[in-house]
Amino acid sequence: MSTGALGQTARIGLFAAAALLIAVLPRFVSDFRASELAYVAIFTIAILGLNVLTGYTGQISLGHGAFMTIGGYTTAVLVVDHGVRDLWTIPLAGLVAGAAGFLFGVPALRLSGLYLALATFGVAVALPAVVRKAEGLTGGSRGLQLFGLDSYTGKGFEPVEVLGRSLSFNDWLYYLSWTIAGVLFVLAWLVLRGETGRAFRALRDSEVAAASSGVNPAAYKTLAFSLSALYAGVAGSLYALASTFVTPGTFPVTLSLTLLIGAVVAGLGSLWGVLAGAVFVQFLPVWIDRLSGVEAAPDWVQRVSKEPGIPSVIYGAALIFLLLLLPGGVGGLVQRLGGLTRGR
Amino acid sequence: MTNPRVLALALAAALTLGLAAGAHGESTASRADPGVTATSVLIGGTTPLSGEASSGSLTARGAEAYFKHVNARGGVHRRKITYRYLDDGYEPARTVQAIRQLVQQDGVFAIFNSLGTAHNLAVRPYLNQVGVPHLFVASGATTWGKEFRRYPWTIGFIPTYTAEGIIYGRYIRKTSPRARIAVLFQDDEYGKDLVAGLKRGLGSAGARQIAAQQGYDPASTDIQSEIARLKASRATVLMVFAFGKFAIQAFTYVDRLGWKPKIFVNAVAASASVLTIASQQGKNKRVEGAISIAFFKDPADPSFAKDAGYKLYRSIMKRYLPSANVKDGYYLAGMASAHAFVQTLQKAGRNLTRKAVQTAAARLDDRKNPFVLPGVRVKTSSSDHYPLEQAQLERWRKGRWVRFGGLVSAPRA
Repeated sequence: MSTGALGQTARIGLFAAAALLIAVLPRFVSDFRASELAYVAIFTIAILGLNVLTGYTGQISLGHGAFMTIGGYTTAVLVVDHGVRDLWTIPLAGLVAGAAGFLFGVPALRLSGLYLALATFGVAVALPAVVRKAEGLTGGSRGLQLFGLDSYTGKGFEPVEVLGRSLSFNDWLYYLSWTIAGVLFVLAWLVLRGETGRAFRALRDSEVAAASSGVNPAAYKTLAFSLSALYAGVAGSLYALASTFVTPGTFPVTLSLTLLIGAVVAGLGSLWGVLAGAVFVQFLPVWIDRLSGVEAAPDWVQRVSKEPGIPSVIYGAALIFLLLLLPGGVGGLVQRLGGLTRGR
Repeated sequence: MTNPRVLALALAAALTLGLAAGAHGESTASRADPGVTATSVLIGGTTPLSGEASSGSLTARGAEAYFKHVNARGGVHRRKITYRYLDDGYEPARTVQAIRQLVQQDGVFAIFNSLGTAHNLAVRPYLNQVGVPHLFVASGATTWGKEFRRYPWTIGFIPTYTAEGIIYGRYIRKTSPRARIAVLFQDDEYGKDLVAGLKRGLGSAGARQIAAQQGYDPASTDIQSEIARLKASRATVLMVFAFGKFAIQAFTYVDRLGWKPKIFVNAVAASASVLTIASQQGKNKRVEGAISIAFFKDPADPSFAKDAGYKLYRSIMKRYLPSANVKDGYYLAGMASAHAFVQTLQKAGRNLTRKAVQTAAARLDDRKNPFVLPGVRVKTSSSDHYPLEQAQLERWRKGRWVRFGGLVSAPRA
């Protein structure tokens, strides 16, 4: 199953090039764009996690937004109500969500395929109501405001000192999110390339065959669930920090679907595609929204794109079109083009 | 053979490089406030073009049409208004992104008519810190007026939900003091404000009239069980403090369960189009006689046919939104808000600054807004950040709203 040394080196080179590009990118884009790109990093983390579960282990989750909610609220509650410095809450959010993933993963062992998908979806649907009810802890529908707090780095979008340099708030958000995304990307890669990754894939392809070759399905499935939820929790924590305000509506049910869309666009079982998936879910709505502002666009485009509901229609159409064009997602395309990703 | 340490090293090196290169050459401070030139002013806002509340975005289109009308007649102090509204899908997290884009990237002068309570709460501290006028928030939450000392750049527009609840409470106390009341409310700030207002309007004795209350989760899809539980209370009056489809469902399930309460429906759900759908071409008799309040002119009400404000509305719609349904009250509501904004710009004077607009927004006294009900004043002062505080009760009769009684106003919450 191991690929040749050349493939390995190429992958590291690719990673280094991508990291370098990401590192210098804020120089070439506006300050605001850096904040948008920070969201790409956040979605990258969440979709990476979902990919570990769905793409590699074959367990479909329609409720990953719920784990983001748990991570987001862990951060928000600690920062707002307990004055914990926001940076420390990020790993905590990951651990809390990971634990929730483990707890959910155990009963989920009895479910597979569509039943599991529905069960996870149920969690995603129910959680906002729970959050709204647990007013004492979560602030209910009033939400939790992080903006302006001392425990919130940058307080009111002020410049942040990092390694002796002053970064604008948006750049700070960008580097924070991408650093964590980079670390988690490497972690996912290390996990998936070894024995664990093989076990995950074996489970996905045939649980019976995997079990007969000595893979413990229960252990690996719950591991995948926990790991995946941990990623989602970290993403949720960063999402809360980037949004400055957390309410049940911050993590709507549709967020879970958005993540799955991102994973499918990325190509299930592809790590590099995840970047493309994250760009897709972050920027497509923004681009659609901007259609009406395009001077060159014909009059009817400008008019129609401001009709209620039309952005959703365009989003759906773009998604169908993309999947017709790239049935294996962007990862599948990359695979076909040059075998840059690992073959199955 | 991969060495994880090599990777880690590459990562660290890249990030350090990036940090070193990170700072932009920005912050070119200028004297004039962003978004203003001698001939133009750029304003922005968010609205749900997609998502469950997308019909609310029609207010933005109505406002935009009104600005075009004003621009065609020379603008305000020779400045033409450009109104850029972005889609937030009714998600507060996306509102934050969109508002940051408008302020940081597009350099808008002010934020206007952004829709939603949580959505505006999410951006209020930021806009107040930067000092961006955050005007005529499209939400009836009480907090915009109540907390203006802390957030002086933010101001609402429509009567508060609390005030609306008070009006219903007082009316019930006066007309049917023995009624048993059941309350359906959206379980968030908006629904709770209405319930609190209702209780205040009923008074301490009257609050005991409330036989049952049921909150529903705004993210849920169906409220049949809530209605069934309310019916079990044998109440004779039902308050529907619910939004859009939930209000329609409430009417439908009340009818299906054979319950015959007198129904009150809150103003944000009481557009003629919602009631028309709920009545199913008159088949649902429970809709007939429903009570609500109005503060804007209802374009579906034929009694306004000769009204100058309504004629202006028609001509603007014909010119700038020719294919739209003119009977939809959302467009007119947007125009009412846009009219107040234009008045504010007028008042702020030729030398347009954010500070001047903030001051002007708290010094409004306009009896001539063509789109609000006759006699309703758009009034604010340094201690009164509630632009609209009057309303009129109305009753649904044979497919349209008929107003009754005079203008009523509610004390500030």
